[in-house]
Amino acid sequence: MTTLKKVPGKLHGPAKMCGDVKVIRTTDSPNCTGACGWYATVVDGKIIDVKQAADYGNPEYNPRGCLRGAAMPNLIYNPDRIKRPLIRTGKRGEGKWREASWDEALGLIAGKFKTIIERDGPEGILLFNQVVGTSYVQKAAQVRLFALMGASFATAYDFNGDIVMGFTHTVGIDAMECESLNWSFSDHVLLWSSNVLQTRMPDAHFLTRGAKEKNGAKIIYIDPRAAQTAKAADLWVPVKPGTDGALALSMCHVLVQKGLVNLNFLKTYTDAITLIRSDSGKRLRASDIGIGMDDEFVIWDESSKGFSKITNTTLKTDPSVNPAILGEYTARVGNADVGVRPAWELLKANILRDVNSPERAAKITGIAKDEIVQMAVEFARAKSPLSIIGMGLNHRYHGDLAVRSVILLHALVGGFGRKGAGITVYSGQHNFRILTTSYTIPDGKRCNMVPMHYFVMGGPTPTINKKIKFPKAGFKALVVSHGNPLVTEWSSRMKQAIDKLDIFVTIDFLMTPTAEYSDVVLPAATPWEKYDLVGTALHPYLQIQQPVVEPLYESKTELWMARELARRINPELSKYFADDEFGIMELLLKNGGPECQGITLDALKKGPVRLNVPDPDDNCYEQFVHLHPFPPRAYPFEVKQQREFLKTGRMEFYKEEDEFKALGEALPTFKPPFEHLAADEQKYPFAIVTPHSKWRVHSTHSNNTSLLNLNRKPVVEISFKDALEKGINDGDEVELFNKNGSYRLWARVTEMIRPGVLSVDHGWWDRYLADRGHYHSVTVQEKTKPTHENYYLPAVYAPGQLWKDTLVDIRRCS
Amino acid sequence: MGRCIGCDTCTLSCKQENGTPADVFFARVMNCEVGKFPDVKRVYLPVLCNHCGNPQCVRACPNKAIFKQDDGIVIIDQDRCKGTGACVSACPYGNVFLKKEDSWYLMNNTAYEEHSKSRLEKNVARKCTYCAHRLEDGLKPACVVGCPTTARIFGDADDPTSEVSQFLKEQAKDSGRMPFVLLEDSGCRPTTCYLEPIAKTKTAKLC
Repeated sequence: MTTLKKVPGKLHGPAKMCGDVKVIRTTDSPNCTGACGWYATVVDGKIIDVKQAADYGNPEYNPRGCLRGAAMPNLIYNPDRIKRPLIRTGKRGEGKWREASWDEALGLIAGKFKTIIERDGPEGILLFNQVVGTSYVQKAAQVRLFALMGASFATAYDFNGDIVMGFTHTVGIDAMECESLNWSFSDHVLLWSSNVLQTRMPDAHFLTRGAKEKNGAKIIYIDPRAAQTAKAADLWVPVKPGTDGALALSMCHVLVQKGLVNLNFLKTYTDAITLIRSDSGKRLRASDIGIGMDDEFVIWDESSKGFSKITNTTLKTDPSVNPAILGEYTARVGNADVGVRPAWELLKANILRDVNSPERAAKITGIAKDEIVQMAVEFARAKSPLSIIGMGLNHRYHGDLAVRSVILLHALVGGFGRKGAGITVYSGQHNFRILTTSYTIPDGKRCNMVPMHYFVMGGPTPTINKKIKFPKAGFKALVVSHGNPLVTEWSSRMKQAIDKLDIFVTIDFLMTPTAEYSDVVLPAATPWEKYDLVGTALHPYLQIQQPVVEPLYESKTELWMARELARRINPELSKYFADDEFGIMELLLKNGGPECQGITLDALKKGPVRLNVPDPDDNCYEQFVHLHPFPPRAYPFEVKQQREFLKTGRMEFYKEEDEFKALGEALPTFKPPFEHLAADEQKYPFAIVTPHSKWRVHSTHSNNTSLLNLNRKPVVEISFKDALEKGINDGDEVELFNKNGSYRLWARVTEMIRPGVLSVDHGWWDRYLADRGHYHSVTVQEKTKPTHENYYLPAVYAPGQLWKDTLVDIRRCS
Repeated sequence: MGRCIGCDTCTLSCKQENGTPADVFFARVMNCEVGKFPDVKRVYLPVLCNHCGNPQCVRACPNKAIFKQDDGIVIIDQDRCKGTGACVSACPYGNVFLKKEDSWYLMNNTAYEEHSKSRLEKNVARKCTYCAHRLEDGLKPACVVGCPTTARIFGDADDPTSEVSQFLKEQAKDSGRMPFVLLEDSGCRPTTCYLEPIAKTKTAKLC
């Protein structure tokens, strides 16, 4: 058919390709957590096409992959690729560079590091590489090097604010995540500011096709914006920003008032039965009354009318024991009589406070009372209620309280432990699906873990956890890898912190605004130019990332860089980097724990391999099904490390530590989102939300010209009502400002947002803003919450973030 | 439209497959905002050539460069097309693209884009072919295999045993949804048809 010969197709039909054609299976591993498999077609060493691999054992996952993966070749061949190592010649950020050889650049870095190690100690050198869970080999090699040096390491997960402290406080692990397939079994879905249709594109069909089309589930979307996900929702609940916690607690109020509480669930899985001392507010220990140890707790047994102890080693209780959930009892502690009550007494009274009533919550959230009551009743009726929590809820100073309230809501109806039921959150690919310590902790050597917050704030807070060793002389060197913190995190204050350093190194494949501010820039290979091992919380498959093409220009893998740097810093360290990527993968598979037992490198080379996990891979499966105590293990740590802050082994809705008591947060409570701000930060009239864009992963793909063709410039979404008052027309150039800073972009007037709220997509690079300003310049100043500092376990119990508590004003630029 | 999440993966899959230059989108998704706050709805409408039963573009072309194949696919013969643009004006759906000059995504003339450039005729009308070149090899169109929500079901609706016929039958039974076409009054008799969304977004009452 001659007419077809010039149809511009690539591989098929009469105009089939000639040349050296290879089709290579690889995977994405950016911080979108998708980890989608792709087939790349490579002709004569050049990628000409990518298609979803669609080769997952469970066909429900096929095809997996979104527009950003499809547009990946644009980044690989992008003009912003860093070709050779660069050394700054002008002032920081001035854009003056000279190209250097690898030998010179690495020699320079190693020399600076050696000076710092000798003069101030190795802790002064800090590594900040985006979530290690995305890359078990390449990023791990950097961690290994820093561990061997005894240098410091800051995890991006908590600095991003993606750590969900509400989970840590309640279940002892920073995130409860189920595989996305599990959504499709739900019959009632609450999306708490979780814009899954936009941020979880490969998985969203488990809602639209699975839950909705097959189960007829009711989908409720709670967000001040009718964002992409509103499309799939039966009910859009446009709450005022930061009031989700009040909504959850008022739903709890309705459940308790109407007697729709599953007491059996509370007794089995939660701390509701543990007795709380009225004198100290602490939990009564078995040792207090001489019936056991100080890590054992006490309940009142209705059957024997006496105290009985429970341990944190199981959720199983003696069937003859009937734990009391209400009442007041007297315990003899030492020589004193102490009144004790089951935690449920306190929790119930707290829920029933007038402030949590639907009437009051209506005023706080902006949602009518009747609607709240109906939402609660429908929730209680659901067979498999599912909540997905988004970061709009969590990136707030009091985000932990909101999350605790949502968990409480589920616990009240026992909404866990069944197919499709539960709570899940996907806040970053931090989740290690296998144990990687065999590589990241060489010979027992560990990095000095320091949250990035303290680097940015210029030093420790008065409430900093004592376990954290902030270097005495301060930080002297920073290496940023796989990250663009000057766009996605703090711009101005981070720059001030960087200006105090001896050396700032960025490792990246694109010249990001962060790279532009560096002293030395090292060109990395893109994910599709190197080997890695990849896992994600969203699906249960382990995959190898394979190089599709050779690294372009002089770019190198992170493993190569770590090896070469190690040799220059201390020749003794060379022996630790003798393995290639395959050697490291073999090591990880051998020592990765039960999840990867039996999985071989050969099997992985053929395609994705399912981890040894339950089907579906539900969160806290062992706890809900097998009555193992909480918390589930947070790799790479031991459960005993998590036990420190989840002492009872149960879901804790009552926190006994003084830090909670001091803030009035021992129980899930609603606190208004902006009241913690300084008076001069509170006076601005608009709340600003910064949702993740469908065109980017954080700031990655900002400069992807294929995607920019569809999303041409940064806009702030503003309601018609507000635009009218401010004299702003659609398309106008506008400025967002507050006391912290300002930037300019273009207005998009829409009916899809609650008046009083502005929305700017997260992660635009500076150069795309109308004034080339900083998208984060208006963000509230960094501060940490004492209840995030009273324990420390990196990326499990650590300070979060408060980006979304920002208030701004807007004006039209003349 | 119940399954479509408006992610534009089809848009990008199409661009990958067909190597189209900037501003040319054979497949694309229209993002529609309906209503006034608070009673609003969001609708995603993925569009591509409708491969009409009565294609206006065929009639409009002065060079007889556009024709309908036996299988129903409407094709623009890239050799015969003289770039008059008559088809662009005739198509009521805006699905034919004609550009005097092509612009590309990567300034540095990469081999990646060179590949696409070398396969495109300049200054001719182009449009979706339902990936006719892939169909020849027994494959489905790129936008269909790329859609992560399997919102696009491809096949011959006249064949009662085809996947698409089965799907339509199933949906008529389960959700009561019947297929419809865009601009029914256009007289074009489009073959690309749609099922309406399942979720009927309501807004919670505010106070």
